[in-house]
Formats: sequence, structure tokens, C-alpha cells
Amino acid sequence: MEENSTTTGQSLEERISELENNWKRALADYKNLEKRVSEEKEALRDFANLVLLSRLLPILDNLEMAQVHLNDEGLKYTIKEFKQVLEDEGLREIDPTNKEFDAATMEAVEMVDGEENKVIEPLRKGYLLRDKLIRPARVKVGKKKENGESQT
Amino acid sequence: MAKIIGIDLGTTNSCVAVMEAGQPKVIPNAEGANTTPSVVAPTSNLVGVAAKRQQVVNPKNTVFSVKRLMGRKFSDPEVQELIKDYPYTIVQGNNGMACIEIEGKVYTPQEVSAKILSKLKADSEKFLGQTITDAVITVPAYFNDAQRSATKEAGQIAGLNVQRIINEPTAAALAYGLDKKTSEKIAVYDLGGGTYDVSILEIGDGVFEVKATNGDTHLGGDDFDRKIIDWLITSFKADQGVDLSGDRQALQRLKDAAEKAKIELSSTLETEINIPFITADATGPKHLNYKLTRAKLEQLVDALLQRTIAPMENALKDAGLSKTDIAEVVMVGGMTRMPKVNEIVKNFFGKEPHKGVNPDEVVAVGAAIQGGVLGGDVKDVLLLDVTPLTLGIETMGGVSTPLIKRNTTVPTSAQQIFSTAADNQTSVEINVLQGEREMAGDNKSLGRFILDGIMPAPRGMPQVEVKFDIDANGILHVSAKDKATGKEQKIQIQGGTGLAKEEIERMVKEAEMHSAEDKKRKEQVDARNMADSLTYTAEKSLKDAGDKAPADVKAEIEQKVKELRDVLQTASTEELKTKTEALSQSMQKLGQSMYGQQQQGPQNPNPNGGQTGGTDNSGGNNSNGDTGPVEGEVVN
Repeated sequence: MEENSTTTGQSLEERISELENNWKRALADYKNLEKRVSEEKEALRDFANLVLLSRLLPILDNLEMAQVHLNDEGLKYTIKEFKQVLEDEGLREIDPTNKEFDAATMEAVEMVDGEENKVIEPLRKGYLLRDKLIRPARVKVGKKKENGESQT
Repeated sequence: MAKIIGIDLGTTNSCVAVMEAGQPKVIPNAEGANTTPSVVAPTSNLVGVAAKRQQVVNPKNTVFSVKRLMGRKFSDPEVQELIKDYPYTIVQGNNGMACIEIEGKVYTPQEVSAKILSKLKADSEKFLGQTITDAVITVPAYFNDAQRSATKEAGQIAGLNVQRIINEPTAAALAYGLDKKTSEKIAVYDLGGGTYDVSILEIGDGVFEVKATNGDTHLGGDDFDRKIIDWLITSFKADQGVDLSGDRQALQRLKDAAEKAKIELSSTLETEINIPFITADATGPKHLNYKLTRAKLEQLVDALLQRTIAPMENALKDAGLSKTDIAEVVMVGGMTRMPKVNEIVKNFFGKEPHKGVNPDEVVAVGAAIQGGVLGGDVKDVLLLDVTPLTLGIETMGGVSTPLIKRNTTVPTSAQQIFSTAADNQTSVEINVLQGEREMAGDNKSLGRFILDGIMPAPRGMPQVEVKFDIDANGILHVSAKDKATGKEQKIQIQGGTGLAKEEIERMVKEAEMHSAEDKKRKEQVDARNMADSLTYTAEKSLKDAGDKAPADVKAEIEQKVKELRDVLQTASTEELKTKTEALSQSMQKLGQSMYGQQQQGPQNPNPNGGQTGGTDNSGGNNSNGDTGPVEGEVVN
């Protein structure tokens, strides 16, 4: 009898701790979810236009490339206005010209002769949307002339 | 209790997921993507997309596809093949194992894989807001013991207790809940970024057994992109006379465009590939513009698609099975989104493959489910019920006022303050309703009870707190409490949530069907309640004003009150609204004249006031427009 009641007591205690555990876990899940929902709301507010903006970037690239060839005054103002709109939406340009290569914001496409690990030629601009990278800049990176290994 | 994450440690991309409240959830990395490139630059400590971006700068220091080296001997012919192709240096390490040498330092494939796992772990911790110590990691079904223990070691180096190593096809089957099948054969078709695997599994009593595997370790999505790029280069050369194949920048743009076109053609039949200013010659800038149809794409990649068929046949043969033995087909890998791939697999097995779980994430999802089972998360998932139908009470005019909306997860509770509908009303009847209709009569009454002993007071004054509480067992407790006296009545309704599915569906459908007319009826009741309330207010105001009210205004109001009263039960919504509006305007006249007098005269209660604190002499307080004396129902 006594033994029996102890076993029951034990299993009840186990059950209690199991339930308490589950309850705490559910509470924790909920708390974390709440935090995440508010973070996601913020992100949604800040990055609601991200998809649209990143789809507009190649068009801006093309307009700028066209301008290099055409050097047209009308087009110049159009590009300026277009860029202003993008800037107003929180977009910032990454200008890699003359910078050290930085994998956090740049993508290397090709190595060319030049100062080591320096951006020799920017190929495509990169963009940040409120400090978040939405497109890395594409660059050509310098390396020492072929005869010597560029390893340190 | 820590969570166990599920990791798909892939050749080209990796992915991590976790169980959350019984549901698998893919964890985005710090960059915001659901998958992380399996690329590592150990010397600069870069992992993922950042490592990939600097690959061209540091080809010798950037390790990709390290999975191909895991647990393999340096002498392995597969490794010898890779040495020829890969820009980083593969050397012989301890016990003749294949290792990677970077700037004089030797890394084991485990150490490199551990860097990927560490990133996944860190990103998961950030996302989940808790420390992660345990993981389930997936490996290809054909991985041998050495490769499996190498994977486990990688996890340990990353600070993870690897609770289990499971097969990728098994994980995919788990993601589709196929472990619940009693006895069945399953084919898993996995066409990823760089590898193609087909596995035949047999499931029995929740245990998966791999019967056979086959595949092509060098066939994947990248090959498909390559075919499109080649086509573009050939076409451009023929049309424009310029060879783009040597121009790195142009190639990069071609690759972007090819990938985009491939993805688009999974949902559309035709797409345009547009790359302005792709190059220039003496005549000026040149632009690339081609239309690519789905049919043309299928023709371009046909040879690749055909290569996936023989492994399926071989796997079946090795398993000693025929196509008809296969009961379920599961698709894994981004390439399986291509309609033609689906068609080939469907035609081969004569069965529609399972889809629905993102094919890039399905393995990680399955690993997370396995992690959940091991952690007790899945076994002990509280199956939280929802209330199938809205619960509420009947209020003035026979309206059904909801307290707990349908599909609310239980346990839950809700409370709201109601009041009386008539002066000196001493009891209210609580009619508990279930259903989606606007009017009480159309919903199901679950029970009713009376709260009496309310102190006599003008309508709208008493505060009756009605509380609904559904406990974890689905039992509904309804209580009504008079805030002034503390008097309380309650009932318990069992099985209020346990309706037959058909009945619930019928009730929801009916509500949808009648929603327009119900809305009209509700509007009419609202208008009537409003009218009723205003006549009440008007009479009270006149009484309060006494002889201070100008005779003409008084007569006008009395006339309009009578008019409204006469038609209260019969008038249309519009008529009620018009007449109510007319009365309201006359009331304003009274208000204006009273206000004018009040400037000099003695204090008088504001005849049209809505304050809640009662004045002792008149009881002239009234609540806002939606109260009125209708049958002893409680009102809002």
C-alpha cells in the first residue's frame, strides 16, 4: 500500500514537473514570438519597399550606362530625379571607388593588375537600405603582377 | 529546456529550421535569407554570402563544396578529381584523410564545415533569443560511416551536441509526415544546386530504411544556368559578332539574367532577357535582348533532364522494386520547381509527387521535426483547440453580440460590461449564443440564466460584467456580475466547442449565405435602438428642463418623439434614421436655449449630457445612443 502511494506520488511529481516544463516552454515561445512580431513589424515598416526598390536598381544601372554613352542633358536630370526618389525612400549608394575591397558590401568579379586588394574598377554600384545591404557593389580588384604570388 | 535545431548541411547551400509550438519554422540568417551558401574563407573568418563575394579575390583561401571532401581519403578518386578542378589546395592530412591547406595551415573538412555550422548556430540563437546546444544534422543517404562521423565531429567542433545524424531523403519524407504511413515505399528525387540524388526508402512502424540510392554528384541547377548562358553567348555572337565568353563582367550579368529567366519560366511560358549595354565595339554600345520560351528552355536542358532518368531506374533496380511499388514521391531541391522536372518524375513513377513544402528548405524542416521528436517537443505538443464558432450573448433588439470570435485558440477568456435596457430594471437575462449570424434568433442558444437583485436605477447605469471563459478542456464558463452589489450568477456549458464538423461547416456556410440580409437586419435593429434611445433621452431632457424649455421647442420635440415612437417597430431603417436625425436636431435647439439660460441662470444638469457620474436630483444621465428600453435584455 505504502509503496504504491509513493509510486503514485512520484509519478504525480514527475507529471507536475513535466507539465510545468511544458508550460514554461509555451510561455517562452510566446514571449519570444511577441518580441519577434514587434521586430518584424518594424522591419516591415522599414523594408516594405525592399522588393520594389531592388527591382528598380537594374533600371537605374541601365539609365546610368546609357548616360555614359549618350551624355544627354535631359537624361542627366531624369537620372538625378530618379535617384532622389530612391534616396527619399531610404536608399543609399555604396561608392566603391578607390576603396579597399570589402566583402561585406562588395562582390569581386575579376582580378586585374593594380594595387593589391584595392578596388580598381567599380562595375556596378551597391546599395544599402537603412544600413541593410540590399545589393553589393560589383568591382574589379587589384592584384600584383602575375610573376609574384600575391599571398602573404 | 533548450531547443534542438535541424540543419541541412548542403554541398552548395545550407539551411536551418526549428520546431516552434509544434510547427517547423525555417530560421533566416543574419543577412535575412533562408539559406546560407556553404562557402567559407577560414583566414578572414567569412562564412556564407560574404565569403562567396570575395571568392574571386581569394580563390585559394575560399573553400566551397567542402561536403565533397568530408570523411574521404586523399587517395579517393573522387578527391583526386576535385584536386584538378578546385582552386583551393587539397592535401593529405592525418591518417591519409583529405584536408585543405590555406596559407600554410591545414584544415580538416570537419573544421571548415564547423564554421558553417557555427554561423547557423549563431544566427539561430539570435533569431530564437536563446542558447542552442543541440542539433540534428542531415547527410546524403549514401554517406558511409566515416563521412557520417566526420559530419558529427563538425557539429562538435561548432559546439553542438549532434543528437542524431539523419538521411536527407528521410528528413524530406518526415517533412511530409510520411513517417505516419504503416508500410510503404517512397522515392525521393533531389535535384539541388550541384548534386542529384535519388533514394528509395521503405517505411515501417515509423522507421525509415534506405533501400537504394543513386544519382549524379555533378548535376544540378548550376548546369541548367550554364546552358542558358551558353545559348545567350552563341546567339549574341551570331547576331552581333561579339564573343562575350571572355568578358567577366558580361558573364556575371548573363548569369544573373539566366537565373532570373529560369525562375520566371517556372511560372510563365515566356520571358524576355534584357541586358542593355552589355558590351561595346567601334560602332557603339551593344544590347542583348532575347525572348526565351519555356519550350525553348526545356529543349536547351533536355540532355540534363534525361540524365536524371537512368539513376531513377538504377535505384529501383538496386532496391529490387518496380515503378508501381512506389507509393509516394517526394521532391527536394530548387530545380524541382521546374514544371518539366515535375512532369518527368510524375511520368516515371506514374504518381503526382508531393509538393508544398519549399524544396530548398524541406530537408531542414524534416531535420527540425526529428529534433522536435527527440526533444519531446513534438510528442508532447499540446494540441491546442480553437473555438469553432463565435460565442456571444443576446443584446437589445435581439442582436447577437460576440465575446469570443471563432477560431480563437483556447484556453481563452473575454469580458465586457453591459447594462440595463430599461429604467429600474432589476434583472438581466444572459442568453449564451453560438454561431456566426448577426441576430440572436439565428444562432444556437447554449444556455441562459438570470442575474437579479440589481438595484433599481435609470437604464444604462448599472454595470453588469459578463465574462466568458473557455478552459483547456473546452468547457465554457459564463458569469454575470453586478459591479454595484457584487451579486454574481454563472453557468457551465460542456461541449460547447465540441460540435460535429458538419454542423460547424453548415453554420459557417449559412452565415456566409445570409450575411447580406443579416447585415440589413442588424442595421435596422441598430437604427431602432438608436431611435428608441433618443426618444428616451429627449423625454428625460424635457422633464429636466421643466418650464425652462421654450414652449415651441418643447412642442416640437414632443411631436417628433411621438412620431418616432409610432413607427418604431414598423419603419424602415432609412425612415428611422431620418426621423432620429430630425429629433436630434430639435434636441439641439433645446440644448442651445438651455445653454443660453445657463450662462446667467442657476446650475442645471446638462440636458444632453453623456457624463456617467449621476446627479442626485434628476437621474438625467443617459448613456450613449445605443441604449434603449427593449425587453429585459442586457445592453451594451
